[in-house]
Formats: sequence, structure tokens, C-alpha cells
Amino acid sequence: MLYNRNSDFKIVTEEHKDIPAISCRDVSVSFGAVSALSDISIDLPLGVIHAVVGQNGAGKTTFARVIAGIVKPDSGSLLINGKKIVLGSVASSRSTGIELVHQSFALPPSFTVAEALEYGSGGGIGLFKKRDLNNRWRRHLEALEMDIDPRHLIQDLPIELQQAVEIARALFSNANILILDEPTAVLSPSGIAGLFKRLRRLRDTGVTIILVLHKIREIWEIADTITVLRKGKLIDGPMELGWTKPESLAPMIMGAKSLKENISRKSDENSENKVLDQKAISTLLKSKKHALEIEGVSTETTDHEVSLENMSIKVYQDEIVGIAGVEGNGQVTLLRVLAGLSDISKGKIKICGQEVTHFNLSKRRLLGLRIIPFDRNMEGLSLTSELWENWVASELAVTPLIRWINPMKIKERCKISMSEWDVAYNSPEQKASDLSGGNCQKLILSRELNDEAGMVVAAQPTRGLDIGATNFVWTTLERARSRGCGVLLISSDLDELFKISDRILVMLSGSIIRELNPPYDLEKAGRAMVGESG
Amino acid sequence: MNGKIEIIIRPLAFILLATILCGIIFEIAGFSAILMFNSILDGAFLGSRSLEKSLRWALPLFITAVGVGISFRCGFFNIGAQGQFYMGSVCAVYVTEYMSGANAVIVIPLGMIAGMTGGALWSLWPGYLKLRYGVDEVITTLMSNFIAGLILVYVTSGPLKDQSGSGQQASTKILPSEFRISDASGVSLTIILITISVGITGWLIINRTSFGTLSSLAGRNPTMLKYQGGKIWQLGLVSFIISGMLAGLSGSIELFGPSGRVVSGFLPTHGFTAILVALVASYAVIGTAFSALFFGGLFSAALFLPIFTGLPTSAIDLFNAIIALLITARITLGKKFLRNRWSHSHD
Repeated sequence: MLYNRNSDFKIVTEEHKDIPAISCRDVSVSFGAVSALSDISIDLPLGVIHAVVGQNGAGKTTFARVIAGIVKPDSGSLLINGKKIVLGSVASSRSTGIELVHQSFALPPSFTVAEALEYGSGGGIGLFKKRDLNNRWRRHLEALEMDIDPRHLIQDLPIELQQAVEIARALFSNANILILDEPTAVLSPSGIAGLFKRLRRLRDTGVTIILVLHKIREIWEIADTITVLRKGKLIDGPMELGWTKPESLAPMIMGAKSLKENISRKSDENSENKVLDQKAISTLLKSKKHALEIEGVSTETTDHEVSLENMSIKVYQDEIVGIAGVEGNGQVTLLRVLAGLSDISKGKIKICGQEVTHFNLSKRRLLGLRIIPFDRNMEGLSLTSELWENWVASELAVTPLIRWINPMKIKERCKISMSEWDVAYNSPEQKASDLSGGNCQKLILSRELNDEAGMVVAAQPTRGLDIGATNFVWTTLERARSRGCGVLLISSDLDELFKISDRILVMLSGSIIRELNPPYDLEKAGRAMVGESG
Repeated sequence: MNGKIEIIIRPLAFILLATILCGIIFEIAGFSAILMFNSILDGAFLGSRSLEKSLRWALPLFITAVGVGISFRCGFFNIGAQGQFYMGSVCAVYVTEYMSGANAVIVIPLGMIAGMTGGALWSLWPGYLKLRYGVDEVITTLMSNFIAGLILVYVTSGPLKDQSGSGQQASTKILPSEFRISDASGVSLTIILITISVGITGWLIINRTSFGTLSSLAGRNPTMLKYQGGKIWQLGLVSFIISGMLAGLSGSIELFGPSGRVVSGFLPTHGFTAILVALVASYAVIGTAFSALFFGGLFSAALFLPIFTGLPTSAIDLFNAIIALLITARITLGKKFLRNRWSHSHD
């Protein structure tokens, strides 16, 4: 394979040209029962920018950490510049010139730039002159063409410059392989442009760069090669950029293997529906109401969230509407807006016909809104609390604060509910952290999807779950729909969306840009998700 | 069931470990650890009337610590119990001053209500600043202690100064005996009944109300509770109010009971020891009773120590300090606390 999309990385010396910078052989990593990486074998050539892409939980970060020596793989070997290195040792990875720039920076905020660099590059304990320190690091920063005053405090720097300092620190030890984990996540568009410029300059000096990314647009802007991971497996790579197209990348990332089955299953269902009594259908259509109406909702731009722009979504009482999109296009904001945790600047929200724009979450819950949040361990459950406390939280949250409760009765009800929902548990007084991911999600479902549920917002409800639990969740959502409950399924897994959604809305940069109807076309969905028409 | 056993074992483990460490330090310093512990045990529990003396300190500590525990459970590190205790005693003493002619049956309950109100208000403003503006409650409650201490100095050396006093310590007049609920021993049926009813009420609030369950969830994972529609600010304000009320109640009991007056800078470590009491007991009411008794015992033993062992009274501080260190070293708790405090303030 050739990697000369950019003709200007000739600095790579001739004799090393054929030896890959990084060569992985059968690397597998598992955390407990979960396999994070399985049998990854890959050669990443020298002196180019490699993008490692995939969804959350695909194993990107684990891959980066294996190379940096932070995570020790269960099996496999790793060759850096043709030399085998000790696995799971940061020191050994560093000595071969590998440096990792972390997702969130580890620079001490109250240090000056020079102090942070000295400290971060392993400077020993001893006396030093402040001026020497500043001068030394000023030279280093100048050599990297970074316009940063070493006397400034880290906390006073904008985030992109903090990241630049982190990169400068990583490069001090003559790093020849630089790994950046989600470097664009914290940056503004202009910051991203600056970072990319910096990275290209580094590549031109011969540094091999590995970028963990998940925004397709950015990949196209910066990467020379792409490697796709999904569910811990290598899907393809390193692919040269010219050989692939953005629209074919999305399905590779999301996975759509059982696509055809789904579509045929879907049409089967439709034909079943037709068997229904014609009269019943017409009464159904007359009584059909909206479970959720979002009308022209916009939010203010903030640093942490992608803002929504004039978003309108309607969900009927008996349908599952999928929200497709690459992560980071405003899905989190949408969920927070629906939960009343983020303010909206414009527009209206109605739940089951009642306007709730200015209602808090407990009032919205009383109208039937239920939420299955993105992060079940942080937002869905309190892991250090007991099961029954987790189970009863939403019920108590909508009642007056000082109200008598009888924990014995609650525990009994919790037990019954958990058995109904097939949660594997020992006692309602167990800590939620004892449960597996699938059982945690079932506990959340048992809490949220009770009879009063009228509108369910499910965000990535099957992320990290095994096949059995995943099917359980899907069946549950379908059962909720048949009971007359609206479902909004926010997911970046196309397999999932195609499988259970009645229609799919594609979200890009905080807006709905397209509506897709079954039978779903994978290529069309992929193109829509990266914002291409057609 | 595990949780219940843990509630008993954990405080015992703390105390045992602290005892061993203290013993080692005493031995190194050239004192006999055995003699030391014997005299502590004697002074605290076994000697004649020593249990009564321990109770004198343990009862108010328990009341304050139950309140501190309620606030900590909810994830708010309200360390202003000392100031709330002072404000409680100040408010109560004003009631006795202005109603000096009235019947004790009216004055004492009113004084206690005033004490609870004073404590609650003194806890409310840091709570409000925290919940409305995200101001760190550790700093505001800590500072509120000093302000309350100065208010106490002002009241005892200004408007309510006892003119007949020796002048060594600014204080208010000693209350007439009909306004007292105990003699200087600090142990009387009234005080014990009040303490028991505080214990029962506290236990009920924690274990039998929606507030108890929700505040535990808020303390452990406020983000989760927000997604459940929980109102953190309501929980927070109520927990600040309850903890202030109980510290204020302690303050008024101190006035009507053992002290009989308000003295500038009295019981200077009360609120801070109550924090230790609550932490050792992991905020459980029954555990708090035992740990209050233990710390009360240490207090009372401190007075014996110089007589029997030649050690200064402050040797007891070593005990407190080691227990505080052990609690701080409970890294898991520390991390959780930091995370929760973080998510509270970055609402």
C-alpha cells in the first residue's frame, strides 16, 4: 500500500520506510467478562496521521492505551519501529518514543506553563532558577512554533493552548509517535483548525500520529489513513483515505450486518398489520395522539453542549421514532432539554398534549415522561445505593419531601417488579454496583416503564449490553409502543435503529435534517448522517 | 443485612485502630500505654460517677452529630455546627432575658425553639449560597463559625454581660434555678428525654421518610437523582435546616442545662467533635449514639488524665486527631465525596 496522499512526508528515511511504526499482533484485552479488544493485528506505517475511529465502547481508547503501555493486554505482542516492547509498561512505551496526550488534560492548573512542562516532562526535584526554566521552555515552544508565554498560568490559557502545552510536553522527550485521544472533543472550530495545522506540521517533521476520533468530518480533514474498530474488533484498516468514501464509513462504524434481515422482518410485520380489522385501524387513526411534540426548539450555545437549532419532532402514541446521528451532534442536549435539565431559548415542548415547556422534570414525569439516560452508571443509577432505593427514586422524587414511607413494603414491591423484569439479584438491599450492565438496564426499565409511562426517551439503551439483554430492551420498547406509549430512541447504532424504529430522523449539528422511512437504505442513512444530500 | 453489620463494625474498627496507634505513640513517648488506657477507661466509664460525666458530654454531642450526619448524608459538608451551636445558645439566652418574669414551663420550650430557629437560620444562609450560587459550603460554614464565635463574645461582654462576674471570662448571668433543666452535672431526665426523642425523630427522618431515602441518593449520586426529577435544592435546604436546628438545640440545652449561662467561647470543640462523631458512625443514628458516648467518654477522661498518668489533658486530642486521620484516609469515601461535591456545585 502507498501512503502518499500528501507528497511532503518524504522525511521518513529510506531504510525505515518499510518497517511499520506500530505493529500489533493478536492483541486482546478484556475487562472482566467484557472483551474490549479481540485479536487486533494491524500495521500502522511511519510518518503519517492515522485516525482510529469507532463508536463509544468500540475499543479506540483501549487501543491507544495498549500502545501507550497504560493497559496490559491479555495476549498478543506489540512492535514499535520493528522492535518488540514490554507490554503494559508506560516506561517501556515511552523509551521507544511513544507519548499519549490525554482526553482530559493532566496539567496542574495553578502552575505556570514552564513549571507544568518541567513537572510533566519528569524534571527532578531540585533547585532551579525561574528565569532558566522560562527560557528553556520558551525555546522549546518556539521550536514547535507555539506562541505561548511560559510564564502564564495554565488555568489562564484557553483550552486549545492547554492542549498545545500538553502536546509540547509530550514532544519534549523526542517522541516519534504521538497518540491523541479525542483531541477535538474539547476544542472550538478554530481551535480544531489550529490543532490540525499543528499536527500536520509535526507529521511533516516525521512524527507518526495516532488520532482517536469519532467525527467523520474531522477524519476527512486530517487523517492520512483510517482504521475502524467496532465492538473491540478490527473492521478495516489502515485504509488510505482516497480509497474510501464518507458514506461508506458510517455503516462500517455503526455496523449494519443484519440489515437485510431487519427489512424483511419489518415488512412481515407490516403485512401482519394489514390483517387487522379495517374498522379497528380507522378508529386507531382517529384516536391517534401525539405523545411528544417538540416545536421549533432552540437552545443557547454553551461550551459544554452542542446547541439545538429550531428542532421539531413529533412522536405518536404508538410509534418508535429513532434519532440517528454521529455522536456529538446534539443528542445529549436533546435529552437534557426533554428532561428539563437544560433551558431552551425558543420553542415549545408538549407531552401527551400538555405543554410542559416550563415544567420541571417531576411535573413532566407525572404526565408520563420517562427517561433512560445515556450513562446508566452515572445518570441512571446510584451505584453505591441499594437496589430498592434506586428503584423507588422516581416515585419519591415527585412526592412531598417529608412523607412517611415504609421501606419494607417498598422492598416487597421492588422485589416483585424486579422478578417481573427478570433482573438477576440476591436482595433488594444489595448495592446497584453488584449488578451486571444488563441487569442494571433492566432495573432502570422496571423503574421507568411502569403503567403510567406515556412517552419514553431512551438514549443508547443497549450500549455495552450483550445480545440477550439487547433483545430484551428492544422487545420492551416494542411492547411499550403496542401499549400506546411513544418512544424516542436516540442511538448511534444503525442496526438498532433499523430494527425497531417506525421512522428515523437524522440529526446533524443540533438539527433534524432528514426523515427516513422503511425500508431503510443503509447508504442513504450513512450519507445523511454526514450531512450529504442525495 | 451486610449494611447493618457494617454500621456497627466500622466505628468499632476505627476506635480499635486509633487505640492501637495511640498506644504505640504513648509508648514511644515514654509513657505506659496500659496505664494510660486504664485511666481513660476509668475516667470515661468505669470510675465512680464517670459514666454520668461522660454522658454530660455525650448527650449534646449526640444531638449535634445527628444533625451533622443528616447534612453529610445529603452530600453537603456542613461543618458549621459549632457556630450554629453558639447561635442557638445566644438566641435562647435572649428569650430568658426578655421573659425573665415568665413561667419556666413557657420560657424553657420557647428558649429551645428560639435556639433551634437561631441554629437553623445560621445554617440556612451558607446553604442558600451553596444551592443558589454554588458557593462552597465548606468555606462558608467554616467562616460562619468564627462570626458566630464573635457574636457570642459581643453578647456576653456587651448587652447581656453579667456585671457581677469576676471579669476573667465574659459571660451572661447564671439562670435562676427554675429555668434550669439540669444541675452542673448536665444529666437529668429532661435532657435524656430530649436526647432520646431527637434520636427517634432523626432515625425516623432518615429511615422512614422520602426525604431520608432521597437525601441518601443525593449524597451518593446527585446526577442520577436529577434525572429522576429530584429537587436537590429542596433536599439541600431541608438538610441544612435540620442540622442547624439540632446544633442550635444543643446550644440551648447547654444554656438551660449544665452551663446555666452563656460563656464567651464555651465548649470550643463541640461542633467539630460532633463532625467526628457523625463520620465515625457513618451517619447512622444508632452508631452515632455509640460514637457520641465514646467521644463523650474521652472528654470526661481528659480531666482525669493528668491526675493518674502525668500526661497533659491534650493527650486526648491525640485520640481525636488519629481518628480524624483514619477517617480522612478512608479513600473511597473521600473520592465519592469529592465527586458528589463537584457535581453539586456544577449543577
